[in-house]
Amino acid sequence: MGMKQTLEVINRMEADGIVGRYAIGGAVAAYNYVEPTVTEDLDILVSLDAHRQQPKLGLVTLGPMLSYLQQKGYSEFRKEGLVIEGWPVQFLPVADDLDAEALAQAEEVEIEISAAEGSVKSRVLRPQHIVATALRTGRPKDRIRMVQFLEEDAVDLGALCDVIGRHGLLQAWQAFCHRTGMSDPCDVQLPP
Amino acid sequence: MKEPESTIYPDISDILARKKEGRVHLSRLSFGEKIALVEALRERLAPLKRARERRIAAKSLRQTHSS
Repeated sequence: MGMKQTLEVINRMEADGIVGRYAIGGAVAAYNYVEPTVTEDLDILVSLDAHRQQPKLGLVTLGPMLSYLQQKGYSEFRKEGLVIEGWPVQFLPVADDLDAEALAQAEEVEIEISAAEGSVKSRVLRPQHIVATALRTGRPKDRIRMVQFLEEDAVDLGALCDVIGRHGLLQAWQAFCHRTGMSDPCDVQLPP
Repeated sequence: MKEPESTIYPDISDILARKKEGRVHLSRLSFGEKIALVEALRERLAPLKRARERRIAAKSLRQTHSS
C-alpha cells in the first residue's frame, strides 16, 4: 500500500474510461521539482470529458468515478479525499482554462519509488502551472510553495510570466511580489 | 563608567550551511525518492497527528459542554 499502488488504481481508471486524462498536482507534483514537504493528500487534476453528458457541477459529475472506486473497495473518505491505497486522493475536475492548459501540457513521468517496488507511469503538472495554480489558490502554504520554486530556480520565469499574463493572474502576482518584498521578475504593467 | 557587556552569541553559520546543504540534497532527489521519503515521514508523524486530532476533539467537546 502506497503511492505506487494509488497511481496504479488511477491509471486503471483512465484505461477503463472512468476518467479522461489526469495529472498529479499540488504538493506531490512539486516533489518533481523542489524540496519535498509533507502533505496529507494527493491532488489529481482530471478531465471528465468522458462524462460530458452529465451536469458539470460538483459531486454529480464525480458520481460515476466514486461508484467505480466503491466497487473496487475504496469508500473511506478522509477530509476531502477518497482513500486509495493509503493516500487520500482529491480529484479536481478541470474547472477553467488554466487547469485545461496545465493538464494538456503535463509532463509524462515514470516514477520509481524503490528498486524493489518498481516504477509506475504517470503525469505531473509543469512548474509554471504548479506556481500559477498556487497563485490562484493563494493560501499561505501555496505562497510558500511559490517561494520554493522561485528560490530553487525551479521554474522558467519566461514560461511562468506567460501563463500568469494569459490567465488573468497579473494582479494576484503583483500582490504576491509586493507581499514577499521581491521585485517583480515579470516586470508586468497592469493596464490603467 | 563601565560599558554594558554585550551578549556574545555562538556562530551558527556552519549549522545553517549544513541545513542548506540538506535542503539542496533533498530537492535533488528523484521524484520517486521524494515520494518514498514523504511516505516514511507520514508514517513517523502519524502518532503525532493522531494525538493532535485527539486534542482537537477533546477541546471541541469541552467547548460544547461549556456552552
